[in-house]
Amino acid sequence: MTTLAARRLRNGAVTLVALAVVAAAVYLQFLALRDTSFLTGWLLVIAFVVLAAYNLRKKLPFLPLARSASWMQLHLWLGLLTVALFFMHTGLRWPNGALETLLWLLFVGLLVTGVFGIAISRLAPRGLTDHGERILFERIPVFRAQLADEVEALATTSVQELGSGTIASFYSRRLQPFFARPRNVAHHLCGSGAPVHRLRRELRGLERYLSDRGREMLDEIESRVVAKDNLDYQYAWQGLLKGWLFAHIPLTYAAAVVAAVHVVVVYAFASAAP
Amino acid sequence: MVESTAIARPQRWDRPFGPDMTDIDVAEVLDQPLFRDIDPSQFPDSLPLRDIIRNDTRVRHFSRGDVIVREGDYGNSMFVIMRGRVRVITDGVDDAELGRRTRAKPRSWLQALRQLWANPRQPEVRDVTAYFSGTRNLDLRGEADDARTYLEDVDAFLSQHETVLLEDGAAFGEIAALARSTRTATAIAETDTQVIELRWQGLRDIRRRDAGFRGHIDGLYRERSLAQHLREAPLFAHLDDATINEIARHTSFETHGASEWFRDFRKVKGDDPTAVLGQEPVVAEQGHYLDGLIMIRSGFARISERLDQGQRTTGYAARNDVFGLEEIVQHWREDAPLTFRRSLRAIGSLDILRVPTTLVEQYVLPNVPAKLLPAATPARGEEAPAWLEQCTDLGLRQSLVDFFVDERTINGRATMLIDTDRCTACDECVRACAAAHDNNPRFKRHGPIHDGKQVTNACMHCADPVCLIGCPTGAIHRHESGAVVIDDATCIGCATCANACPYDNITMVEIRDSKGEFIVDQQSGQPIVKATKCDLCHEQLGGPACERACPHDALIRMDMHDHRGLADWVNRK
Repeated sequence: MTTLAARRLRNGAVTLVALAVVAAAVYLQFLALRDTSFLTGWLLVIAFVVLAAYNLRKKLPFLPLARSASWMQLHLWLGLLTVALFFMHTGLRWPNGALETLLWLLFVGLLVTGVFGIAISRLAPRGLTDHGERILFERIPVFRAQLADEVEALATTSVQELGSGTIASFYSRRLQPFFARPRNVAHHLCGSGAPVHRLRRELRGLERYLSDRGREMLDEIESRVVAKDNLDYQYAWQGLLKGWLFAHIPLTYAAAVVAAVHVVVVYAFASAAP
Repeated sequence: MVESTAIARPQRWDRPFGPDMTDIDVAEVLDQPLFRDIDPSQFPDSLPLRDIIRNDTRVRHFSRGDVIVREGDYGNSMFVIMRGRVRVITDGVDDAELGRRTRAKPRSWLQALRQLWANPRQPEVRDVTAYFSGTRNLDLRGEADDARTYLEDVDAFLSQHETVLLEDGAAFGEIAALARSTRTATAIAETDTQVIELRWQGLRDIRRRDAGFRGHIDGLYRERSLAQHLREAPLFAHLDDATINEIARHTSFETHGASEWFRDFRKVKGDDPTAVLGQEPVVAEQGHYLDGLIMIRSGFARISERLDQGQRTTGYAARNDVFGLEEIVQHWREDAPLTFRRSLRAIGSLDILRVPTTLVEQYVLPNVPAKLLPAATPARGEEAPAWLEQCTDLGLRQSLVDFFVDERTINGRATMLIDTDRCTACDECVRACAAAHDNNPRFKRHGPIHDGKQVTNACMHCADPVCLIGCPTGAIHRHESGAVVIDDATCIGCATCANACPYDNITMVEIRDSKGEFIVDQQSGQPIVKATKCDLCHEQLGGPACERACPHDALIRMDMHDHRGLADWVNRK
């Protein structure tokens, strides 16, 4: 079995060689006093089609079209090559027309979302595993509702059993909103546990007003607060892991349309077409 | 304080094999030639012969044409004919002849592509017209456990096959019962037939205590299977028939452990590991004299070594594995002491063959291909130091080995493992699985996680597929590709397989027609249910869609018997 490091090394080397070949071809065109933008442009179109074809591969899992992981590797490394090609095509300058500016922005958007996507795809899973039980994203609302019901029942019971409104009052002010929906998403994405620590401190602060049974109830509530906090963590990171594609894929479609228009416009107005 | 729920302690015979066995039936069974000479006094008061017969046997009636056992079915019982005639098919029967509609070969490209637009939108849609086509000579009768397939034209079927006739007093099915393995031949009732069916637990207990019965059963095994079994083992493949027969004559067949691993392992999960190990019978003890090469016929074993006051699991073994070969080779090459380096313990019930060391050294080692022998092993006392955190035998972290053994994941031949340190929960695997199965995912991306490795709730296509035991129609079977699959047309929805699966990887579903309406039983109006599970995409081109769909190389279908492959995958960086 090829190790991941060996694969990275091999694919990186292949990409560098491909980049050198492309750069040499472009330079030879340049030396021959030809417009290199047609070569780099069509190479970009081909690369774009191959990159976008990955999504088609995902739609056909029952056909033996190579493993998705291999496609992903192709997507990553060809994506990097495409960045180099793109700047060979446009030069390191701001584009000068509305259509070109739009295409440039779409491409940069694709690049940024793609790099962001691969970065969190590599970094987030380990955090999700280490943080607590991994929960199926679709099941999070169910578990959250279950925890909310349990805490509400504990708060109600505390009034009946303890004859005290301390827990119930804290529930209605602090816990009910906490359990009502995902909370502290931004904090979780920044790696901060401050909000839940604060909530737990406030919860423990009620201890001095409660009997032994009341403290047992606090323990039970606190364990559910911790469980809900893990649900929020899973929601935040799994949501991000799924969500970035909602930017990357629409940008792909938009860039494909604008690129096609760009090619038509170029040929329509370029009298010096090869 | 919460009061515990109290129940009577579960006993072995809470669920007799044949709940309707009467005293007359028991007497009639004991009057059969095979049982007549058994001495009841050899059985302890806690396990009397009559109770074994009453609880571990049943009398079954088959009508002419009934299929008693199918080739390829998983067996856990043997049969003795009381009256009637049974034909055993010796030239093989293909799945289609027995009513299974499972595809033998994958789809074509066009058929595969068609799934893109032809998959139904509703879940679990079935075309029921296909259930009743193409089975002109087959039908079903009986219900639930007593359901059986029968041939309408027995003579026509028998005329197409080579058969052996068995009559009153003859026994068959003992090979599969002894080893809980697949039936090697199909047996059909040629006339109305009455048979005694003895499940393997009873067979084991009688065989253990009565020398005559043991001699008869082992004789059948030796006559029909042992030599063939040895011949099929790579170590013995180079030997001629005379030598094989000589070795077979001296090879002993042993059963260790009384429990069924698939019923017990959940009970002991989380228990003190030392206590769990203490319940596993020792087959071979570290440091003891090595009298024979151990070949595992069925079941699972834990390989362990002494570490301080306890035992450390260093590996596991399953059917067709051998134990003690390294030591014998070292003795043969270097005259090293002939003692076991590790201990072998039965996890549940374990059947082994013990081939005398002298015969292995005399016949097997001189001419065996070198690649089948272990590489030179370190001299005694020079082994790598025992690290608590690393299992050097398998190249895995010790806690991960314990996890795989404790969860009985070692049973898997295509276990779905997910590296949760790489899995982004994108669910491409689930979507691909659904796309390859009429929009119905056949696994849940969920399961126990240890050390960043998840054992997912997907059929593992086990080495010991206990789900196959007891399927009344043979709908669940092992496909020629190795996958355990369910033939939807012959599944009667009895849930025997789903209840038997120790990993909860079989799901019962209510089926629908193309309009999305539930398909119901004509008589009761109740929905028809079918068992469903991962079929390892044996009908698809390219293999399991889940594995091929994972963009992050996080998911693999792993043969847990492939120790090197497992270590490579777990340790890749």
